Amino acid sequence: MKMEVRRKNRGFFKMDPVVDMGSPFNGKRDKNCNLKTEITPPGVSGIFRQKSFGTCDRQLSTLSSYVRAACSLNNTAGNIGNLFTRKMAASANTSCPWPNSQDDYELRDVIGVGATAVVYSAYCKPRNEKCAIKRINLEKWNTSMDELLKEIQAMSSCNHLNVVTYYTSFVVNDELWLVLKLLEGGSLLDVIKHKMRVSNCKHGVFDESTIATVLKEVLKGLEYFHSNGQIHRDIKAGNILLGEDGTVQIADFGVSAWLATGRDLSRQKVRHTFVGTPCWMAPEVMEQDHGYDFKADIWSFGITAIEMATGTAPYHKYPPMKVLMLTLQNDPPNLDTGADEKEQYKVYGKTFRKMIIDCLQKDPSKRPTATELLKHPFFKKAKDKKYLTQTLVAIGPSMETRVHKASKRQPGASGRLHRTVTGEWVWSEEEDEGETPGSDEEAPDKRPMNELQRADSSGSDNDDESTVPKETAPRPVASPPAQTEPNVVNLVLRLRNARKELNDIRFEFINGKDTAEGIAAELVGAGLVDPLDSAPISVNLAKLLQMQKQPQPQPAKTVTFHLNSTGPNEEFDDKTLIGFAQISLVDLG
Amino acid sequence: MPLFGKSQKSPAELVRSLKDAVTALERGDKKAEKAQEDVSKNLVLIKNMLYGTSDAEPQTDIIVAQLAQELYNTNLLLLLIQNLNRIDFEGKKDVAQVFNNVLRRQIGTRSPTVEYICTKPEILFTLMSGYEHQEIASNCGTMLRECARYEALAKIMLYSDDFYNFFRYVEVSTFDIASDAFSTFKELLTRHKILCAEFLEANYDKVFSHYQRLLNSENYVTRRQSLKLLGELLLDRHNFSIMTRYITNPDNLKLMMNMLKEKSRNIQFEAFHVFKVFVANPNKPKPILDILLRNQDKLVDFLTKFHTDRSEDEQFNDEKAYLIKQIKELKPLEH
Repeated sequence: MKMEVRRKNRGFFKMDPVVDMGSPFNGKRDKNCNLKTEITPPGVSGIFRQKSFGTCDRQLSTLSSYVRAACSLNNTAGNIGNLFTRKMAASANTSCPWPNSQDDYELRDVIGVGATAVVYSAYCKPRNEKCAIKRINLEKWNTSMDELLKEIQAMSSCNHLNVVTYYTSFVVNDELWLVLKLLEGGSLLDVIKHKMRVSNCKHGVFDESTIATVLKEVLKGLEYFHSNGQIHRDIKAGNILLGEDGTVQIADFGVSAWLATGRDLSRQKVRHTFVGTPCWMAPEVMEQDHGYDFKADIWSFGITAIEMATGTAPYHKYPPMKVLMLTLQNDPPNLDTGADEKEQYKVYGKTFRKMIIDCLQKDPSKRPTATELLKHPFFKKAKDKKYLTQTLVAIGPSMETRVHKASKRQPGASGRLHRTVTGEWVWSEEEDEGETPGSDEEAPDKRPMNELQRADSSGSDNDDESTVPKETAPRPVASPPAQTEPNVVNLVLRLRNARKELNDIRFEFINGKDTAEGIAAELVGAGLVDPLDSAPISVNLAKLLQMQKQPQPQPAKTVTFHLNSTGPNEEFDDKTLIGFAQISLVDLG
Repeated sequence: MPLFGKSQKSPAELVRSLKDAVTALERGDKKAEKAQEDVSKNLVLIKNMLYGTSDAEPQTDIIVAQLAQELYNTNLLLLLIQNLNRIDFEGKKDVAQVFNNVLRRQIGTRSPTVEYICTKPEILFTLMSGYEHQEIASNCGTMLRECARYEALAKIMLYSDDFYNFFRYVEVSTFDIASDAFSTFKELLTRHKILCAEFLEANYDKVFSHYQRLLNSENYVTRRQSLKLLGELLLDRHNFSIMTRYITNPDNLKLMMNMLKEKSRNIQFEAFHVFKVFVANPNKPKPILDILLRNQDKLVDFLTKFHTDRSEDEQFNDEKAYLIKQIKELKPLEH
């Protein structure tokens, strides 16, 4: 019995995709920009609220899968030579269009893995040029082709130095291959995180010149975007990619949207919902009364400016509902909002602070446009690309680290379930925590950036699997077999939420590390399970795990059991799981 | 009216300089580079006239009316589309925006541009052939779908020989172009219900013999998309007589039964929605009945195990239960 998850209830924010590629942009007249939000009262919708923020990070997730794509291989670059090789190759190849045949590409390293897609660094043989290839399994993710097309058209209608470049796309069996420009420096977030790990960033991550240089490029990209009638909707460091030559590009505008939430709209009758990333989200996007326009990107841009200075978005420590409240109720955040000490960020001057204030005005009409912002005095501090190769690219995490991490992010790889501040359940990898130097004493759950970052592969994985629960869903063809260690057991708990909707909660159990009671308590603590049910879940989880150790030829893979939390008048039924829950082992092979 | 400051040109002047520039571009002589620039520049000016900019409102109706009239008089829209591949990247998008804006323009209930294009159908055929060229395909698609919203224009396209090129366009290797062509194709076949039904009835054999090729395509996306659209077409009540015709053909039933067994679950599911119509038909012709009877047990067994995980999709489960019941109760015709 597999259940489809009702996605209706997934989000705090339900938005309609806003960009109509066909219409020119005009803030006032663009009727296509409307967006509806429903704020669900906290605690009503059960786990799909949790999920929702998982998918809310769809931006994050999918984006970051591309962002990963950006993290290509230094070592390869070293072999091939420098960028001039590529440049020359590119110019020599204008006559040869990007081919649509699988055989013309050589896939190299996996640089990003999400549940929906695997990103490779690749080499295009006829053009003698590197690229990134994102392989999306269309069969697995019941994606609406219309959504898919819309997003790809959004990419292909852009031709700007500061907007990530789409080359071509084609179908290989039941996969879609997207061929994109390979940016080898990783995402700005990767660099921020790395710098914070290896050096003391207490008083600021980057100097003003670096910040101004990067943001000026971002603004140029945004200006183009907006003039094209598009709204990015998810500007943040994680979506800003760096080339090895210091090129700055805005990545992934929404390919993710359908990736994480793709549904067959015509049949499911569920509106395509879109959820932004709360920490970067403009108040009017949260409020929804009037819809929003390109000024929402300016807000996110302002938050990104703070992120570049302090390393995190101002309210990163808070759960999403709280972020919404703080954003709506408080005065706009500034550099010092998230500071632990007074004058912690005193190195940053007035001009920078004023620029941030301009962007973070609650009334969108008071925020400058991208074009106006480019004239702001702060951007006089901007230097050239070469400067960035010194201040950003050179200090970024080594390619080995990034590739290693990417390949570690196999779905189902070792790790365990955590609830992040976004309210999402994600796998976190022990290796990552291990590599954090001692100077970083914060508990993992206080480092939401990292958690979020990790959410991309696993988060969407969870999400996706909830649509195709229980089925030993085929992994993206491209991914090597999951590296599930024998002492890690993958499980799924299926039960009805407060609204009587069936839900799947996936989690891992690490033998020797986890206890059944601990997992049950964690599920209760996360609000996923009624406290009354903690005992039966813990007992039956233990029972199921014990059964696997028995020398029976084929131990049961599932236990179904009665819950304590059922109402007095309910008719119990273990088939439909009314008043019952079920825990199953998941075969990830 | 110096609304645009110093360089404000009248619509007639703008249209003329754009036309001169496009003509120069078409000739491709030494001045092509300059012509390229002029085309882009004038396109932006026309676009701004229609849409306004962040600093200026769109022009008044009178100016826009003059502009539209000039565009008709000079046949500039056709010239632009014919030379679309010569125009630069941003200019191509501007052409589509200008075209769509002018197309949407109404005077009362009249749509003068629609009337104009009806007298110049080569505009439509040129746009349709745009799918042959990668670099202009999506721009042409944007304009075509706007055209398809108007019944008169959709009719011209549907009843043209060029329409059958779509069966090729939807299968091209570049995914975004194939999908773009497919959405235009779908729009043409579904937007204006009565027109579409009449067209499909009048051209049943030709359309469905072409359509068969899509269903058998090597390309997974083409197969999946076309099967889904087939289901939607057959289940639309306007297309009742087309559906009855379709479900009397045993070859169609065989194809669907094979697709029910495809490896892809999505394709299986779409096939189910076509297959069900064959079974639900109260007046099954003998060849159809024979096939179903021959496979009676196997079908019951197959359907019982078919997509059992969709237990939350009530409609699907009701339909499946109904089909199983129907198939179980099938009896040979009495003679």
